[in-house]
Amino acid sequence: MRVDVQGLTVRYGDVTAVDDMSFSLQGNKIYGLLGRNGSGKTSLMSALAGYRRPVGSVQLDGAPVFENAAALRQVCLVRHSAHAADKGDKVSYVLEYGAAWRDTWDNGYALELVELFKIPLGTKVGELSLGQRSALGVVIGLASRSPLTMLDESHLGMDTPTRYAFYDTLLHDFMEHPRTIIISTHLIEELSSLLEEVLIIDAGRLVLQEEADVLRSRGTEVTGNASDVDEFTAGLTVLSSRSLGRTKAAMVYGALADDQLVRARQLGLELGPIALQDLFVHLTEPVGGKR
Amino acid sequence: MKIFRHLTTSLVTFCALVAGGAFVFAVAVTFAVSLFRDVEISAWNVAASQIGPWFLLFIGVYAIHNMLPIAVAHGRTRREFLVAASVFSVVLAVLMTAVEWLGFLVEGGIYSLMDWRADEHAAQPAYFLMYLVWFAVGMLCAAAFDRYGPGGVFVLPVAFALVVVTRVQMPGAGNLPFVQDIPVLLGPGWTAALAASFAVALAGTWAIARDMPIRTRSV
Amino acid sequence: MFDDRSPIYRQIADRIKADVLSGALKADEQVMSTNQYAAYYRINPATAAKAFQQLVDEQVLYKKRGIGMFVSTQARDMLRAQGRETFFGEVVDPMVAEARAIGIPLSEVIRRIEQHEKNGGV
Repeated sequence: MRVDVQGLTVRYGDVTAVDDMSFSLQGNKIYGLLGRNGSGKTSLMSALAGYRRPVGSVQLDGAPVFENAAALRQVCLVRHSAHAADKGDKVSYVLEYGAAWRDTWDNGYALELVELFKIPLGTKVGELSLGQRSALGVVIGLASRSPLTMLDESHLGMDTPTRYAFYDTLLHDFMEHPRTIIISTHLIEELSSLLEEVLIIDAGRLVLQEEADVLRSRGTEVTGNASDVDEFTAGLTVLSSRSLGRTKAAMVYGALADDQLVRARQLGLELGPIALQDLFVHLTEPVGGKR
Repeated sequence: MKIFRHLTTSLVTFCALVAGGAFVFAVAVTFAVSLFRDVEISAWNVAASQIGPWFLLFIGVYAIHNMLPIAVAHGRTRREFLVAASVFSVVLAVLMTAVEWLGFLVEGGIYSLMDWRADEHAAQPAYFLMYLVWFAVGMLCAAAFDRYGPGGVFVLPVAFALVVVTRVQMPGAGNLPFVQDIPVLLGPGWTAALAASFAVALAGTWAIARDMPIRTRSV
Repeated sequence: MFDDRSPIYRQIADRIKADVLSGALKADEQVMSTNQYAAYYRINPATAAKAFQQLVDEQVLYKKRGIGMFVSTQARDMLRAQGRETFFGEVVDPMVAEARAIGIPLSEVIRRIEQHEKNGGV
């Protein structure tokens, strides 16, 4: 499912959570929505799911989503299950809602997942652990089989084996039923290999949208003699640098041209890759830090 | 249609069970009271005219506060939900009126067997309209508080005015202070007043909930 | 499983090439499908597909429509030829530099290599 966001702004009183954001997603990929806490991930997804009337426009396959029955049918947003369930409802009742109100709901699959994540059917949602509630959110999200499925911090509270089960399940179901999946997270390391495309947002604005694998080759760490490093990085986008004695390491963003590579070799500089996680950290430096 | 069906299957059963339980309780209380003194009023009328409306108000609140966000989270529009909830309000009021009627029927039998005295109760349309209004007012209050937070208190005077009318034709509902003359003022137009009350509550609910943000700040 | 520092598709492609070189994957043998690869290594299927595409472009693999990917007949010879080209630059030269840095005379390194030769390979 194609997603087009144009000039989207979300405000709560004086706080601007999403600030004039525009982007398009081609669809049928797994997207990572990366941002620090409070960067506007949840507000953005809420607008995509038609939870609030957008300022600006949000279109799914060319149709506005807000209060549009045909478009809304195709969307599912879960955030540790809170949206689609009441704290006082039993897990089995939560699944009944899905079965009753979603045309695309696969109840057999839902029951399979509930068993996989060991969620007790007779327990009330409010009495589940955070990890179990997150898992229930994943169950709702995946069993909905929605053309646009959004999982907001769905790994919260899950222990490591459960997270891996979640990644495997997600990947498997995505391959069986290709659809547009958006996962928001600020824990990038584990998830990054699952993502095809990445959107990084910060303070309500889109910082970049890029294929994950391309992004991985975007950053370079330049290490060497401090003065040589300074000479080499002059005019380049330096995300951060640190020094140890006369040695300096600088993180440079952007692909390096061939003549730059030659120059680096001449200067005896060491060039190394940067992890996606580090790149993310430096692209979303806290207010007051370097940009 | 899916929303309406789900509302009906889940809530109608629940409400019927609660009403049935209330009836058994009312009869039990009557028997208990009869041990100490003569029975002079209908216990079921207390349940039907005083507790019943509050129960419907509660269901109305539940529908908007709890079920509407879930419906939207499951890919349904607010409009679809409100259509279903509006139709459902009539269905539920009819059901509760039927339960009320049945209750009086059975209670009447018990009373005549036991030779107890009951006070008078209202006609069926009065109960039906009362339930209808209270349910709609419940939805109105929930919509106002969910949308405007503490600002929702401003809807309370309106809500009060809307439900006061339902007390007019209701013996046993407790006499309202200050407004005892209303029945006379309204005369036979009370049904119209109640219907208008329902329409206002429903229209208010629609106006507020029609494009209400859902769970945007939930954690 | 994969380091997060260089494109995953390239890491996968390198791994398959290594398998071809070592003989773990033989000529005309079918390799795992994109989805099998993705599930096994817990990576996005598009990434796996990209690695395969690169290998097809480099003629290490060939596609049989509707069946899957196979190791091409000339793949091993080709990779060996490529490996030979870069072997001295990428393996021997750094080794020599390392030996110098830690003070091992080259004559000793040569003696060691000759020993391997006498023992019949590695």
